[in-house]
Amino acid sequence: MSNELEILQRALQREKAARKQAEQILEGKSRELYELTQELKNVNTKLQEGLTEKSSELQGVFENLVDAYVLMDISGNVIKMNDAANELFGYDIDKEHLNVLSLIYEEDYQYAMSSFQKLVTKGSFSNYQARVNTKHKGVRTVHINASLIYGKKNQPIAAQGIVRDITEELEQKRIFEEQKKQLSAIVENSSLGIALTQFGKILQTNKAFQNLLGYTNEELLQKEVKDISVKEEFKESAENMQKMNDGEIDTFSVNKKYVKKNGTIFWAKTNVAAVRNTDGSIKYQVALIEDITEQLEFEKQRDKLVKNLEKSNKELNDYAHIVSHDLKSPLRSMNALLTWLKEDYEEVLDENAHHSLNMLIKKVDKMDLLIDGILRYSSIDKINQPQQKVILNTVVTDIIDVIHIPSHISIEILTELPSIEGDTFRLQQLFQNLINNAIKYNDKEKGVITISCEQKNEFWEFSITDNGPGISKKYHDKIFQIFQTLDDKNESTGVGLSIVKKIVDVYEGKIWLDSIEGEGTTFYFTLKNNSFL
Amino acid sequence: MGLTFLLIEDDEIERLKFARVLQKNKYNHTLLEAENGEKALELLESHKELPDLIFLDLNMPKMNGLEFLKILKSNPALRYTPVVILSTSNNHNDLKESYEIGIAGYIVKPLKYEDYAHKIKCLIEYWDVNELIKR
Repeated sequence: MSNELEILQRALQREKAARKQAEQILEGKSRELYELTQELKNVNTKLQEGLTEKSSELQGVFENLVDAYVLMDISGNVIKMNDAANELFGYDIDKEHLNVLSLIYEEDYQYAMSSFQKLVTKGSFSNYQARVNTKHKGVRTVHINASLIYGKKNQPIAAQGIVRDITEELEQKRIFEEQKKQLSAIVENSSLGIALTQFGKILQTNKAFQNLLGYTNEELLQKEVKDISVKEEFKESAENMQKMNDGEIDTFSVNKKYVKKNGTIFWAKTNVAAVRNTDGSIKYQVALIEDITEQLEFEKQRDKLVKNLEKSNKELNDYAHIVSHDLKSPLRSMNALLTWLKEDYEEVLDENAHHSLNMLIKKVDKMDLLIDGILRYSSIDKINQPQQKVILNTVVTDIIDVIHIPSHISIEILTELPSIEGDTFRLQQLFQNLINNAIKYNDKEKGVITISCEQKNEFWEFSITDNGPGISKKYHDKIFQIFQTLDDKNESTGVGLSIVKKIVDVYEGKIWLDSIEGEGTTFYFTLKNNSFL
Repeated sequence: MGLTFLLIEDDEIERLKFARVLQKNKYNHTLLEAENGEKALELLESHKELPDLIFLDLNMPKMNGLEFLKILKSNPALRYTPVVILSTSNNHNDLKESYEIGIAGYIVKPLKYEDYAHKIKCLIEYWDVNELIKR
């Protein structure tokens, strides 16, 4: 029995121990489970936190996205839009339903559909560019990147798109392109040769530049500025370039020679301007060249002509003096000899001979007057008196005081005469010649001469009226030519009015006349009123 | 007491005119004549007695009047002899240059012989009453 008991007791003992062990294991498992649960809890919390963080991050991104963001279901019904999208499309989906199909611009429908197809089959598309109808902004061109959003079973449940309005950008680009086109049209069609250079290398040229030098653009791009310049002159250009590089100057202009492809040389006016980087260093140089070979040739010819003209003018003046001396000497001799003939042979000569001798002496006198006339005429524009204020009232009054006026003639100044800038001597000559003529040819019992003046714009218009014999219309032009006289008595030289005309010309004026034969003549002339200048 | 004049003039008739004025007025002055500047200088250098007065034409071939005048005025023996210009024109430059170098008078020869005779008469009578340096 005791054995049995012992056995039983041992068995019980074993069982106890086993249970204890089991209890211990259970306890251990339990603790593990607890710890695991705790851990899970922690992880879960962390995950929760992470998710919240991510969500708010996403929310932030979503809201702050500059580009429009659109979330829609598979049928295109818009679920969500950010502020930028609201702004762009003009719809508030909280208040109204919106399907993206309604936004598609009609002409782009086909393209939109094929892009959508791509989205469905490939899961995304990018660089979609098309026009859309917006509520308030009309048709806009947009750029879209889109992708599908998948559900748990990997089935597409939504699509999202990022939309950028590129209308302005495209417009800017178009304007830029347009301006570029316009600019290049100007550059290409310019008659000035234009070249862009960098450190002496030719980067770009226009048609005129190529034509001037006889090279193609491609050939020129292989060249440097010195290759098309004349060696001796290149130094000067190089000095200017250096100054430009140093920032001393921004532009310079030189007349220099260029060597054409065929080796010939032409002169060109060259303007070089610097295009600088923001730091002031030179980015490019723009050179504008203009062929002035012909111009220089013209200038040379002109200088030569002017010189010749000066020379012949001087010769002409000298000539007048030589003529006066050389022609007058024989006249003096003739006069002396004729006078002696008359004196020495007074008793021998009959009346007829005396008459002939007197006629001869008169002709000699006339010849002398003509020569004086030439001298006076030729010296009008020669003597360059200083310009001064000339009080014409005084000048004319002086003339009337000084010249011989027969008692049957009266002269009256009807209006105040102006003061003008000029040369007293010439102006005096002008009035005196006209007044003299009016007196000399007056054929009336009571001669009346009047002088007046009125202002006409930038000119003073003077008139001198007489009641003399008048001048036939057919002579109105002729009388102003030198040596033309209407005087039958042969006392005038025909120089007076030609001098008048020349003086009026000097003052940029005009002279003309009104006349009724038998009743009188009015001479009109204008003188520039230089107080207007 | 008679004066001695030197007339430098290339034109023969001009010389005749001058002589005729002297002769017609019955002046007892002596007239020396030279056709141009060179001849006048030769005459002045060879002649022992200097003229009291020189009448000088400006426009002459070879040495002209102004050139002669300059040489005369730079010669210490001759420079005190008064010179009266007988010219064709009253050309401003000629006048100015003549007075600059040094002249005693400037006469423009008139066209008419009567006028000429009158002018020369006045001239001679004027110099007749003047005191001149005698050597």
